Amino acid sequence: MKAAIEIESLSKIYRRRNGDDINAVSSLDLKVAAGQVFGFLGSNGAGKTTTIKMACGLVLPTTGTVRLNGYDMRKQRGQAMRQIGAVLEGTRNVYWRMNAWQNLLYFGRLKGISSGKRLKARAEELLRELDLWARRKDPVREFSRGMQQKVAIAAALITDPPIVLLDEPTLGLDVQASRTVQKWITQLAKDRGKTVVLTTHQLDMAETLCDRVAIMSQGQLLAHRPTNELLDLFRQEFYQLRLRGTVAPEVVERFSGFVASQENGHTVLSGAVSDGLSVFDLAERARLLGLDLISIAPAAPNLEEIFVELVERAEQLPTQSAVTQRPVRVTGAVQKI
Amino acid sequence: MAMTGTILLNETYKRFILLWSYKFNVLTEMFMIGFLFIGISFFISGGKPDPELMASALLGYLIWFFAVSAISDMSWGIREETQTGTLEQMCMSPLPSGLLQAGRSVSSLIWSSTMVILVGGILMILLGVRIPVRLSALPVFALTLAGLYGFAFILGGATLLFKQVQPLANLLQNMLLFLNGSFLTVEQMPSWLETVARTLPTTQGIVVLRRVVLEGASLAAVWQDGSLVWLTAHAAAYLLVGWFVFLWCEQEARRRGVLGQY
Repeated sequence: MKAAIEIESLSKIYRRRNGDDINAVSSLDLKVAAGQVFGFLGSNGAGKTTTIKMACGLVLPTTGTVRLNGYDMRKQRGQAMRQIGAVLEGTRNVYWRMNAWQNLLYFGRLKGISSGKRLKARAEELLRELDLWARRKDPVREFSRGMQQKVAIAAALITDPPIVLLDEPTLGLDVQASRTVQKWITQLAKDRGKTVVLTTHQLDMAETLCDRVAIMSQGQLLAHRPTNELLDLFRQEFYQLRLRGTVAPEVVERFSGFVASQENGHTVLSGAVSDGLSVFDLAERARLLGLDLISIAPAAPNLEEIFVELVERAEQLPTQSAVTQRPVRVTGAVQKI
Repeated sequence: MAMTGTILLNETYKRFILLWSYKFNVLTEMFMIGFLFIGISFFISGGKPDPELMASALLGYLIWFFAVSAISDMSWGIREETQTGTLEQMCMSPLPSGLLQAGRSVSSLIWSSTMVILVGGILMILLGVRIPVRLSALPVFALTLAGLYGFAFILGGATLLFKQVQPLANLLQNMLLFLNGSFLTVEQMPSWLETVARTLPTTQGIVVLRRVVLEGASLAAVWQDGSLVWLTAHAAAYLLVGWFVFLWCEQEARRRGVLGQY
């Protein structure tokens, strides 16, 4: 399958004022196939936004290359830029004092559309699709947060780019606005054949929308697989321990990587078996702690649980193994998968 | 060529829409600019302003307004766009960044010219001051502005890298008002201050403009006495250095990852 985004040996080192170096991204290799919704996941400071900004040409890599539909971002910047539209996190992206129509015309011209007729037709099409046509002449600052985000997405799509980068597109949106944006992301990929790269902390959304996910931690890639494959891979490792009554938090902490929830008066601990433990060791640990174990059963993990598990494992690894990216096998799953 | 025109118009279109949304602020600024000139002139002349001296001062003052506008646009304007994230969107344009910067400067120039014509016109009517319109002043005016924008590009570049350059920009704006020869000609300054004043971007432009506009000197005459030659060299140096500094700072901001960071 044709790769829309090809990232090779990409690294970014930021130098602090005191002279210390920060490895924001280390030797990243990644390919994103055309027409996919690709989830780029990681905790704050994992290196996602730096990678996205390097893909947009806003940050220059220390080493490595980014190619968008075959165009090298450094050597063929103009052509590469024509391949993408982006909505970046934490900023307005559009002029709130201008109306939606003015914003789309401005950004269309800025991104190289010189034909007024074509630009106006495209702006109308986008505003109608996003249900903003009736309010196209209202200043964006008067819109709800969801509508403002729609205008930012429309501005990113004004040139109809084949690749769309959305950094936290649902951040701060209410449930309804978030659903609208999610529906639109799906349509962009499925109906329009666009490649959508999505960064989000809403892992349930990533699980639903993304064909493939990459998980980053401390500037390194921990996993890069089709979403279903990643879920299947961890299915064998996840268990649920059902315990009678309420278990004190300090006792739950003895089950590293497990999350507690309450269900019908019972405590359910869910998580992956790690640290060389087996399911029998878990049962033994519960017995030694004096817990009343009702059952242990395999559980289907969700993306959030896998994410937490992978990031925790990466953080526990000695720095050297994390830096060298040597695959480290931990109870069935490897550190870099 | 068509794209260049589109970009220049696009930036102007954006600027006028945004300024229209700040109508009250613009009106207040116009009033402040006019009031400041009247106030300073009355103080300097001991309450009895001489229309002839006022014409000379007003010419310098209006050039200073161009400087205020260019400096604000490159410092406050870029910082504002960094905070809102629109600067990053601009930097994602496939068009050359130099062209976008040129578009930004032209729109700033169109806006400040509009303000200068309005404020200058009102002041001339109110104070009975007459500044003749001479076509021969156009090249001198263009050279003065070229040097000024070169100077503003240096500040714009610094804003991209360091963000907090507003206090420096304010200091420079005020220095220019008192040192560019608007109210006190550079010849009247102490020699060390005259040297400093002459290196500033608008001083030599104002000197030559006064000779051409108010004294009716020809371009040949100001070329022969060396003042236009010095202005040309001065403006070219500022423009070239400013342009390269801006482009270098933009590249450096991308390298440091601070283009969109505030």
